[in-house]
Amino acid sequence: MFTSQPTLLIGPSDWDAEVMPKTEFTERIAALWDLYPEAPCAIVYGDRVHHAELAYLTNLAPKLEAAVALLFPDGEPELHVGGGPNMIGAARPLTFVTELKPLRGGEAIGRRAAESRARRSGAPLLIGGGYMPTALRQDIVEAIGEPPIDATAQVWTLMRRTTKYEQLAMYNTGVALGATVDAIVSAFEAGAGVTDAVLAGERAAYDDGAQDVRTLFSLNGGHTLQPFTAPIEQQVDPLQVYVAVRRFNYWAEGFDSISTKPQPAFDKAQDLLRLALAAIKPGVDPADVEKRVVTVMAPYRPHPVTEGALVSRIGMALEEPPHTNAGAPLQAWEFCSVRVGITDSAQNHAIASAMIRVRDEGLDVFWSAAPNPIEWRPPWWDKHTD
Amino acid sequence: MNFAERLADIRAQMQERKLDLLLAVHDGGHFIEKPNPVMVLSGFKSLGPAAALLHADGAIDLIVTPHWDAERAAEFCPDARVVGAEDVVDSALAKIKGNVAVGTSGLRALPYAMASRFAAALPSARSADKLVFDAARTKTSDEIANARAAARIAERGYERLLEIARPGMSEDELAVELKWCMKTLGAEDNFLLLCASSHNRAVQPSTGHRIQSGDIILAEITPSYRGQLTQICRTVVIGKPSDELVCKYRLVVHAMDEGVAAARPGVAMAEVCRAINAVLEAEGYGEYCHPPHIRRRGHGLGFGSARPGDVALDNTTVLEPDMLFMIHPNQYLPETGYLLCGEPVRLTEHGAELLTQHKAALVAVAG
Repeated sequence: MFTSQPTLLIGPSDWDAEVMPKTEFTERIAALWDLYPEAPCAIVYGDRVHHAELAYLTNLAPKLEAAVALLFPDGEPELHVGGGPNMIGAARPLTFVTELKPLRGGEAIGRRAAESRARRSGAPLLIGGGYMPTALRQDIVEAIGEPPIDATAQVWTLMRRTTKYEQLAMYNTGVALGATVDAIVSAFEAGAGVTDAVLAGERAAYDDGAQDVRTLFSLNGGHTLQPFTAPIEQQVDPLQVYVAVRRFNYWAEGFDSISTKPQPAFDKAQDLLRLALAAIKPGVDPADVEKRVVTVMAPYRPHPVTEGALVSRIGMALEEPPHTNAGAPLQAWEFCSVRVGITDSAQNHAIASAMIRVRDEGLDVFWSAAPNPIEWRPPWWDKHTD
Repeated sequence: MNFAERLADIRAQMQERKLDLLLAVHDGGHFIEKPNPVMVLSGFKSLGPAAALLHADGAIDLIVTPHWDAERAAEFCPDARVVGAEDVVDSALAKIKGNVAVGTSGLRALPYAMASRFAAALPSARSADKLVFDAARTKTSDEIANARAAARIAERGYERLLEIARPGMSEDELAVELKWCMKTLGAEDNFLLLCASSHNRAVQPSTGHRIQSGDIILAEITPSYRGQLTQICRTVVIGKPSDELVCKYRLVVHAMDEGVAAARPGVAMAEVCRAINAVLEAEGYGEYCHPPHIRRRGHGLGFGSARPGDVALDNTTVLEPDMLFMIHPNQYLPETGYLLCGEPVRLTEHGAELLTQHKAALVAVAG
């Protein structure tokens, strides 16, 4: 989901070895070398907007200036941090990487990458290069002397396989998401205006340790969504909200509609959400899930916000490729947001969603806007929370 | 000046430069240092990548992503032809028909994946960054009103800092609390740098570092109100400040006062920087008035245009009424470390008007 991108990331993002041990990162990097055994190094770019790949490989989510990681198959990783030497101190707690240097431009990165070719002759890998400023990228490529291999898509493929540490991080993020939505519901029921209710949710997210929280809400019963632009004292009923919460670099998101009155449209969206969840298992094409839901959506049609993206992979980024239902079938142990939005283009609109983990025989739900989203089964996370 | 007058000025410049069309693009990654030409032309702060096309006849096409945000954009920009798009590059290029002279703005700040497509499709387009951002070098009356509101929010955020800052609290906890507090007051975004140390080298983004007695908290509090950023720079001591710290902070405030006094219409921005430096150089801190210790003594305030640019020795911009910018000495001194001290100012015909109600002063909170 698109949300308003903040000018600076503010919130706890320090690397915590108990949450994500160094071995998690070294294994991810090793998996990259397995895919590219000839590659002498990988250049990984991230900035405060786009940094899923960088965070996946180094834990660094740049709060202010961009950073470039240089990973080597046979050497210690380096992080080149923007903003000059004075910014090294603020970046150090955010990563397991100990070799931090000021980012001195693309030419220096490219030269360093070119030097590594003395050990392996293949082309260097470039990850996140599409997000780079053009000048930085050109300088890197020129200094290397040949085009690097774009391995961004392969990293995204690696990110679909989750470990127990990642699953626990996602679970805890889901808990924060639940607390956030509950706080919005409580504020709404206490008579809070639109933005007071949403801000009560954001407060709860931060109290729960969130490193970031993004919200959207609707002033027209779910017809359109908007970000916070100024306080709005009016109350609206129903209050359709979108909430995204981030902890330990992992995102969880949810759509919910809150009302004191019966909501036929939301009831329908919840029913369709249950239908979608029942259809999800490894090997299923997300587009087929949406087709199945749309078939029984009448008299409604898909809501523009969720149309074409009913099942969206989520984790290190709110918007994970391919951004729509197109793409690979679902696989076990990946995390998805399942969203069902409906509209009759007149007065009735609603979006309901759930956060799930696909598993061998189906899925686990760890947050849902629909009660009883699936047939009951023991919570999968019990073993992690003993 | 109002928004319509600014657009008329831009159109006049287009005519002078024989441009049929102005294409402004932004990737939606809003950043204090990255001016946003789409906001200059439309006032709209998008969720995702967006483009504004200003035609010679004054018509504006506004292309926004995600596509479902088009209704909000149309409400905000009733005079624009708004299109919700899946891909802003394809949609913008589709609007450019025939052999027209195109000026572009914002392309240099785009990510490679977007910029390379525009560059390939519009090989003869000319950069119009200067045209667009210079036209927004002075603020409209609405932007100035928003800057005043943002300054008030910043000061209330600072009051909150003084209420809650204490040993044991992490920088992140404090920063998050201030961000949330200022959002409840209307700040839709915030460039809030906050760090604490007994001897700071610079102001940095917050981390999990826990504040200790004797620490000096640096806070660059920068809320945005309705898309207009304003900033205050403040320094707070946990516990009783040393006499030396008190003395050095007075020096930095004095330097700022001299900078404020030097800021007048007709004066080059470099003179403001020079006035600040002179105070510090006179006290023997000349070597600390240049990189790597200090890069600038202030800056413009976006998100739209960041003109008049940095308060720096190489900025020859001549100051004009209704320019809005920061004056912040923000000096590293070997005895105390980095000290923050800065105010937002609006230039009037008579000089610089502080937008804050209370000027920076060293404040101690219980340690």
